[in-house]
Amino acid sequence: MNSRRGVLSPSAALGTGSVEGHGFRRGRVYSVMVGMAVVGAGLVAQLIRVQFGPYAPVFDARARAGNGRLERVVPERGLIFDRDGTLLATNGTMYYMEIEIRQLNETSRREIASVLSKLLVLPMDDLLAQLTYDWAAEGQYRIRLTREDPRLGRLPIRLDPTVAGVLRDFLADPLAPDLSGLDLVPTSSRHYPNGTLAGHILGIVNQEGEGFFGVEGYYDDWLSGKSITVERTFIPPDARLEPDPPAGVNLVLTIDADIQEVTEIALREAIQSTEAEAGQIIVMDPRNGEILAMAAWPTLDPNNYEPWLVKAKDDQSAITPAVAAQYEPGSTFKIVTMASALSSGAVQPNDVFVDTGLIEVGGVPIRNWDYGAWGPQTMIGCMRYSLNVCLAWVASQKLGASSFYGYLTEFGVGQLSGIDLAGEVAGQLRTPRHPEWTESDLGTNAFGQGVSVTPIQLITAAAAVANKGVMTQPHVVREIASPQGTYRPKPVVLGRPVTPEAAHMLTQMLAESLEGETRKAAVAGYQLAGKTGTAQIPGERGYDPKWTIASFVGWGPLPDPVFIVVVRLDKPTTSPWGSVVAAPVFQEVVERLVVLLQLPPNPAVPMALGG
Amino acid sequence: MRKAHRQAFRQAPWRILQQTTSNTLLGLVALLVIAGMYLAVNARLADAGRVLLGLEAQRADLMRQSTNLGAQLADLTTPQRMMERAASLGFQPAHAKDLEYVVIDGYVPPRGFDAPPPIGSPVMPSGSLSPAYTETLADWTLRMVELLRGVR
Repeated sequence: MNSRRGVLSPSAALGTGSVEGHGFRRGRVYSVMVGMAVVGAGLVAQLIRVQFGPYAPVFDARARAGNGRLERVVPERGLIFDRDGTLLATNGTMYYMEIEIRQLNETSRREIASVLSKLLVLPMDDLLAQLTYDWAAEGQYRIRLTREDPRLGRLPIRLDPTVAGVLRDFLADPLAPDLSGLDLVPTSSRHYPNGTLAGHILGIVNQEGEGFFGVEGYYDDWLSGKSITVERTFIPPDARLEPDPPAGVNLVLTIDADIQEVTEIALREAIQSTEAEAGQIIVMDPRNGEILAMAAWPTLDPNNYEPWLVKAKDDQSAITPAVAAQYEPGSTFKIVTMASALSSGAVQPNDVFVDTGLIEVGGVPIRNWDYGAWGPQTMIGCMRYSLNVCLAWVASQKLGASSFYGYLTEFGVGQLSGIDLAGEVAGQLRTPRHPEWTESDLGTNAFGQGVSVTPIQLITAAAAVANKGVMTQPHVVREIASPQGTYRPKPVVLGRPVTPEAAHMLTQMLAESLEGETRKAAVAGYQLAGKTGTAQIPGERGYDPKWTIASFVGWGPLPDPVFIVVVRLDKPTTSPWGSVVAAPVFQEVVERLVVLLQLPPNPAVPMALGG
Repeated sequence: MRKAHRQAFRQAPWRILQQTTSNTLLGLVALLVIAGMYLAVNARLADAGRVLLGLEAQRADLMRQSTNLGAQLADLTTPQRMMERAASLGFQPAHAKDLEYVVIDGYVPPRGFDAPPPIGSPVMPSGSLSPAYTETLADWTLRMVELLRGVR
């Protein structure tokens, strides 16, 4: 009692022990108690909400998973430039639409479905079905909206930044439709600014960031970099700077976008004027194997690659035909045969062959393209008039099987060229060691029948003749820029299939024949060499009587060629002949090529020569 | 002196109580100061963490914007568009016969294009934070009230 009195005595001494004073103190105590009760009630309410509220499963899952989550971080895919720095492949941002299921209400379900169906022209029923499905029963509280593709099944819906911007405005505007629960998740996507330009060279990248075909497929590991796994924390004090994953390399191609553009325009016009089914043009520097342009029809837009995946299921060569679409080359293959014969010394340009219009090799009769007899012809005449009988004679009676196929192997026929594009095929060549080889193959192979090559193989072989007998490996990548430095691959010499003298002789022979017989390929002011080809198309019942593959291989300017061009047109309708439909395409391409490559005309060649 | 103190406490025992209370309060204040300091340091750490997370997100966003702008620039300067633009300005493709080549002694052609090294890849955020982590009790209460009132 004493102590109690003692405690109160200072107050009593101050004269504050009145009834009013006690009431005031009691009021204060009550206020504090009420305040504490409110705070306590709030805490209890929050605890109940966290424990049993709508987000309880989210917190529960988080508690089980710890304070962070392991995330696989994928670096930005490397860029692809042309040789002058034009951006051919870059990265953009697309947005997935994710739904926080617990955030949805009846209004937002309906309005999300309505807005998206109108904005993206998607069936509202399908969207509504996804939004009303009981995902929680499957333990899912966040879903990604998908759409039905008739060929590829269900695919996640991806929005471009413009559409995503519209939705984001809706989300921010209280007067806009209720889209609560909708979240836009950015994701990196491959973007090809030039659309179809060089699409067949570039290849494609799927939504998962994996490259297929072309450069994207061949250099996929390099371009995609290395993904890393980081532990992402949600607790700010634990936040730390995560390391960037090692980025993918940037590539500079040997392709010149301007030459590619010109080549694609020439091919498109040729396809339209000849009503051909398909076609390819390759432009290469024979000195180092750099591919300057590689056009193909039908064109491929890697931004919209889905239809091509379906096409590639039936025809693996559809996406990269220049390296995968093999065909019997026909008369353009005579370049290889004659180069081999000249190099071995079996024939000389002025050796005479008397063409009777028929020769039998292995019991199979071989005739000329016009079924005619051309009488005495030098080797120059044989190439100029593209005489099958003469070339079959050269291969079978002057060269012999062993030597002929030895040269073909040296030229890389039936082998991969090693070009750095995914999907290359080797072509087909039956040598005497092959069980199905017959002697007649020797005669027909000499003028490009019974042997299959790809356009890239043919240009690589012909480039050896253009490049003084040195055959270089074709390639499309000129420079690789990585964080560690820049690497520029050196030209690879595949071999020296023919002597420089033989290459020079054949080039002169083909230059003469181009100026004489194939004037539609000539370009005023420039000396060029070239050979036409009209190949029949083999089928299950022999050669197709109607359709051909028309082609042209040419190089220049002589005497030191810096470009070689292959033109191939499949099933032209207006004329079956390479000299009629393919040679003018070569001329058109070269007329622009000499300007773009800044090649001055040869004063010795008249500027009015062009045919 | 000690005797005097004992005498004083004996005469006024409330002083012992006051002393005990003072000591307890002193300890409490010290504890509060330490707790306050701990809280302040933690708050600053949390704040720094939030700033770091924010900056990371901002960096990723800026990188994304930069990439998008680069892509837009590339869209605007494709060879096809440049040719169309040149044609609209009255230019036409040059032919060999239109050109005159001049030999300039000592001219060194420009070095070819060198690719830029790849830039660091920012961590792409895997979506905004779930409302479970950002919604306060007040937000939730307000949302519930509005929902009951039929307002979104």
